[in-house]
Amino acid sequence: MAKTLELQFVTEGGNNARLTVDNPKEPIEEAAVKQAMEAIIAAEVFFTSGGKFVTAKGARVIERNVTDYELV
Amino acid sequence: MAETLLAESKLRLVFQAGIDEDSKPILKAKTFGNVNKAVTADQLYQVTQAVVGLTVDELSGAQRMDSLDLLA
Repeated sequence: MAKTLELQFVTEGGNNARLTVDNPKEPIEEAAVKQAMEAIIAAEVFFTSGGKFVTAKGARVIERNVTDYELV
Repeated sequence: MAETLLAESKLRLVFQAGIDEDSKPILKAKTFGNVNKAVTADQLYQVTQAVVGLTVDELSGAQRMDSLDLLA
């Protein structure tokens, strides 16, 4: 089961921007996620067409089912 | 006189996501685009730490990738 943590930010221009992190630590600690997102905002590293990240909107975990088939 | 001009920057994080059958590390790279071209190493480090804190994968290396336009 492949899991991805999706971090949702809002930019200066009001657009949504997403960063994804593979194999998140579980259980998800909301406080830790919030702190990491605030650190990412404070670092001012990302600059999208809507400007830099200003607020942390939310986060979610996405699970993806992958089934491999051996083709003989 | 030809010159180069910084066109875009990206942050590339390389994670070790386990060990393969030959006990060699399995490396996975994750690239974050939309990086502000004026970013400092400290800022990139801050984001790297924030992301690494959210995943169970172990960080194996981090790189700043710059693309430069070549102008005549």
